[in-house]
Amino acid sequence: MRLIQHHPGLPWPRLQRDEKVACEFCDAVQSAPRLREGEAAFCVHCGELLYQNRPNSLSRATGFSIAALIFMGMAHSFPFLSMSAAGNRNELTLIGCVEALAADDAPLLACLCLIFTVIAPLLLTTALLYLCGPLMIGRALPGAKQVARALQASEPWSMLEVFLLGFIVSLMKLGDVAEIQFHIGLAALVAVVVSIAGATGGIDRRELWDRLELANAR
Amino acid sequence: MSTPSFAADQGLASCHTCGRLSPATDHHCRRCGAKLHLRKPNSLARTVALLLASIALYVPAMSLPVMNVSGIGSEDGGTIISGVITFWEMGSYPVAIIIFTASVIIPVLKIVALAWLCLAATGKVGGTGHRLALTYHVTEIVGRWSMIDVFVVAILVCLVRLGTLMTITPGPAALSFASVVILTMLAAMSFDPRLLWDRQRRTS
Ligand SMILES: [Zn+2]
Ligand SMILES: [Zn+2]
Repeated sequence: MRLIQHHPGLPWPRLQRDEKVACEFCDAVQSAPRLREGEAAFCVHCGELLYQNRPNSLSRATGFSIAALIFMGMAHSFPFLSMSAAGNRNELTLIGCVEALAADDAPLLACLCLIFTVIAPLLLTTALLYLCGPLMIGRALPGAKQVARALQASEPWSMLEVFLLGFIVSLMKLGDVAEIQFHIGLAALVAVVVSIAGATGGIDRRELWDRLELANAR
Repeated sequence: MSTPSFAADQGLASCHTCGRLSPATDHHCRRCGAKLHLRKPNSLARTVALLLASIALYVPAMSLPVMNVSGIGSEDGGTIISGVITFWEMGSYPVAIIIFTASVIIPVLKIVALAWLCLAATGKVGGTGHRLALTYHVTEIVGRWSMIDVFVVAILVCLVRLGTLMTITPGPAALSFASVVILTMLAAMSFDPRLLWDRQRRTS
């Protein structure tokens, strides 16, 4: 029997030394080399990225997802900006956008907005934290497989960075028709976008699954 | 380099979710529990169906008003294109260019590129594997940015509620356009790039 050892500090472990991988783009089977931190493996046939060993992957993913959750709380508590014109004062928040769409008889659009800017980013970061935090001590919490699959499913639908660009375009569109004041929520939103990028880019999907398999095998 | 061996030829399925290699006779991946397939099921049929649906929805997305601006005594519903033209004429070139790119260039190019990839996978058009793979990557990365327009509508609807002076409400094109973006994203996800290399292997 092979003794499976897990050292959280060591580079990405693999279950079997002779494990093979197939390229996701061309299906070529090849050996999976053990990588040093910061290295990446590419397909011998088509040259696509196979997987990479991100430096300090677990602590990075955990740290950034905690940061993302904190900033998310701030982004929801404070408005991004307020606009005053003709005695009216309106504040912009993520939930405010959803409510405004729902109030204007666009319930489907409101739902989509809620999914893209609130639910998917929240699901993404909590799932990453739920997986990577315990993996730092080599453990997997119950339901880790389902959570990892939910994480992968939510990834393409988290669109806060697109929302941020939309925000910039909206500002340019409004031009100088109104008096605009920026608030702390905007800084929090930028921080959320940066943190989510750091968290999702912090760990390779194959590494996450390898580590989960190892933790489940204990 | 010697020709590599391919997983499907050895009866091995690589999991779409976690990347683990399993015998294709297993129905579910032993590591993550996802369903195993040698290739994404009905990849081409699904991609084509989603593309057709997105083309159908692109028509109302472009021809109906994307948001209604109502002010003192006037009501104005502009389409995405009329908005681009207005901003261009006003000299707001960055806004015009960003909106035109996000709402016209990216979706149209994405639909054309995916249709081209489907044709290439059935061998109707040529193209080297590398160039086609690059096309696939670009459509995957760039597609989500089309959603800018929908968020602009959401933000303006939230901010511009100035009673009788000026109020912006979402138009029917906003939902159509969001659906176009979602459908093209789903089409890109259901396309299996391995079909391109399968084709190349069979023809060479
Ligand atoms: Zn390859
Ligand atoms: Zn799997």
